Amino acid sequence: MTQDAATHSGTFAAGRALGLDHLKLGTWLFLASEVMFFGGLIAAFLHYKVNSPSPQAGLLSVPLVGANTFVLLTSSFTVVQGLAAIRRGKRGGLMAYLALTILLGAAFLAGQAYEFSSLYREGVTLQSSVFGSSFFTLTGFHGMHVFTGLVWASSTLLRAARGHYSAEDHGGVEVFGLYWHFVDIVWIVLFTIIYLV
Amino acid sequence: MTAEPRPASSPRRSGYLLIYGILAALTAAEIWIATLSLAAAVRTPVFLTLSFFKASLVAAFFMHLKSDSRYYLLIFLLPVAVVVVFGLVMLIR
Repeated sequence: MTQDAATHSGTFAAGRALGLDHLKLGTWLFLASEVMFFGGLIAAFLHYKVNSPSPQAGLLSVPLVGANTFVLLTSSFTVVQGLAAIRRGKRGGLMAYLALTILLGAAFLAGQAYEFSSLYREGVTLQSSVFGSSFFTLTGFHGMHVFTGLVWASSTLLRAARGHYSAEDHGGVEVFGLYWHFVDIVWIVLFTIIYLV
Repeated sequence: MTAEPRPASSPRRSGYLLIYGILAALTAAEIWIATLSLAAAVRTPVFLTLSFFKASLVAAFFMHLKSDSRYYLLIFLLPVAVVVVFGLVMLIR
């Protein structure tokens, strides 16, 4: 064994000694970087919201977005139910819950697209004001994350349909779930600071 | 890749349903409170508290941070703390 290989092996063993799964550890580190990413956008939005309040904020519809929030919360529930299903070895249950998650995620994006088009008709655009810029940047990036989650969910569903995942081997489902729940948490925060406060 | 065994304290399906029910109820409460004409000094801390509670429930139970390794919790909370401080500085300036 070369010295490099021995060092790598030692590092790997150290990770195991901490009781950490490397795929999950990598996912959590990725999510930590995502916290910083959204943190910067949220801080900028709050700065403009407090220091340059816009009357355009009154055009936002709490009931519509509240319903969309229910949809995303429900999708988090279906993801965790899918994980519970595959932990019991029920691949069919996992596939059904993943399909539901995809439908709910798509419904959320459809609701967001409707909201965006309504605001555009009212003259709130990406270029119209500081409010428009910060609002569409923040919610748009979140929507892109939901879309990425939909692609990931579809890929996980396809792998499950091809016979992957079992009660003993479901790490791929678990890390997808971590990402999806994180996107849900970000929306919980955005719903509060954009629409409620 | 083989997943880690499920932690002993990981919730069962009925536990997930209970958490979902609480999250849905809190969201309904938020939408109802938004219809009330409350002063900003009242509604802001109420909404922030509800939001913090909801996010904590998702992280603790759906992401299993309550029962998983404390290292994951640390990795997640450290940048959250940095962002909160950064946000406060942005608001003060």
